[in-house]
Amino acid sequence: METDRRTILRWLGKGSVFAAFVAQIGAAARAFFPNVLYEPPTTFKLKPPQDYPQGYTFDSQHRLFVVRAAAKFHVISAVCTHLGCTVQWRGTEFDCPCHGSRFDANGKVLSGPAPSPLPWFEVTLSPDGLLEVDSAATVPEGSALTGPVEKA
Amino acid sequence: MAGSVQRLWHKLFWPWAPASEREASEAIVRNLWLHWFPAKVSGRSMSWSYSFWLGTAAASLFVILTITGVMLMFFYVPSTERAYGSIKDLEYAVSFGRLLRNQHRWAAEGMVALAFIHMARVFFTGAYRGSRVLNWMVGVALLLGTLMLSFTGYLLPWDQLAYWAITVGTNIASQAPVLGSTMRYLLLGGNFVGQQTLLRFYVLHVFFLPAVIWIMFAYHMWRVRKDGGLAAIVPLRAMRQAEPKATPQSKSYSLFGLTPGTSVAVMSSMGLEERDQVASSPNLTRRMILVFLTVFNLTLLLAMLFNAPLEGPANPSVTPNPAKAPWYFVWLQELVSSTTVHLGSITLSGGLLGGILLPAILLAALIAWPFFDRSPANAEGVWFPRQRNRQNAVFAIVSVAIVILIIVGLYLRGPYWHLYWPWSPRPVLPRVL
Repeated sequence: METDRRTILRWLGKGSVFAAFVAQIGAAARAFFPNVLYEPPTTFKLKPPQDYPQGYTFDSQHRLFVVRAAAKFHVISAVCTHLGCTVQWRGTEFDCPCHGSRFDANGKVLSGPAPSPLPWFEVTLSPDGLLEVDSAATVPEGSALTGPVEKA
Repeated sequence: MAGSVQRLWHKLFWPWAPASEREASEAIVRNLWLHWFPAKVSGRSMSWSYSFWLGTAAASLFVILTITGVMLMFFYVPSTERAYGSIKDLEYAVSFGRLLRNQHRWAAEGMVALAFIHMARVFFTGAYRGSRVLNWMVGVALLLGTLMLSFTGYLLPWDQLAYWAITVGTNIASQAPVLGSTMRYLLLGGNFVGQQTLLRFYVLHVFFLPAVIWIMFAYHMWRVRKDGGLAAIVPLRAMRQAEPKATPQSKSYSLFGLTPGTSVAVMSSMGLEERDQVASSPNLTRRMILVFLTVFNLTLLLAMLFNAPLEGPANPSVTPNPAKAPWYFVWLQELVSSTTVHLGSITLSGGLLGGILLPAILLAALIAWPFFDRSPANAEGVWFPRQRNRQNAVFAIVSVAIVILIIVGLYLRGPYWHLYWPWSPRPVLPRVL
């Protein structure tokens, strides 16, 4: 079939109007993905190390546990890896109130639906002598910040 | 007095008084409100014991929800700081505010229940076959929309239930393959539950989802008529077609006086006879108003007797122990709690298996079911026909399983989601923080 210039131009015209329409919809949809987030930073400071007692201390603002053993510190997330509820420390293990996941003292899954252990966050000592946590950086189980109390 | 009211009514809405049966039918078509209905309706399809008017009752609840919802919008502030307070104001500072909120809540839970029971009725009577398959699918979509409205609705008070339901719900969405984390980001309007999240769910709840449901509902009703009314008349029509037609006597005038003869038998377009049908107004309209008023008064009674639940204000650091979903979602909570599986080194989270895949399979089964239904035509439009026993059993077993999961979730789950008998004491836990 022979296509004349008029037909081509007509389809180009209709096509460009339709393409503009689709692009508008795309632009409208894009607006729903925010570019600027007013969210707390993933790196934040906690209290000075000597303020933490031995054992497990819950930080409700950042939803994590600061664990102190003598002069060693590590930080375990309190957010259940199943569906995001806050786990509770029960002396020997972490238990989740939403779907019954249980984790041992190191965050390893004991039972329940949690698919992975509670992550350990990187913890350092900030220049002003506070514990500093990067919740975007996970470290292997057993990592610890050693000796900040003696230094302080 | 009554006469002048009637004259005014007729002047406003019904400018044409019918003088004959035919004109009465046309009058219905010409009336702003009544043209929604067919001129005539069969007594069989209005039977109380066939349909229990469940669809009408669910639709009545939706009307109640729209009206009470718009009224609540005048008092509710969709802000994370003020939402909870505005609900407390409704309860304690606004005259009849608590009643309004209660009625909205109980009507919403009633609509979830009735939409499901209505679906069960359609299934058990085999009323989804032939041309009605499309409307069955629209119905499944309406049930899904009702559940989404409920979910977005109970988030708005921004209490503990709301906060942790959003947290868990959006984390389930994030488990979906490929698009999961994008979906979570889109729903939350960020990476954390916050103001953007509340605003998004608010707009979904007060405009987007109701608009979609109203449009689908209008289509649902239009299809009921285009598909030939309720399936209840299918057996009746089959009976009428099998009956020998008595051709009525007629008389015609000829040159030599009256000549006796026979005329044609007249059937309606529905395949029914004149005696099977009555005028829609007032027979159908009166029943509809009766159903609406019954449903309205029941929700009002519930609203007076029982208060809608409201937990403490949202606290992002403490999850209630145990945190329970409302009854219509607690079976899903049971599923996500127990469906994490380990296959060698691969772990499938309960969020994906029980939260997405299993519900998707149930939904797909509902949508696809009519295409696998091989029961004979005479199993349509009657309750529990013998030929559909196996199909009805499958539907009943799945429904009972869901009800059992709901009962387990509601009454047997205690702190840390452990199982307890309803009569056994639950441990009193110190608030470990």
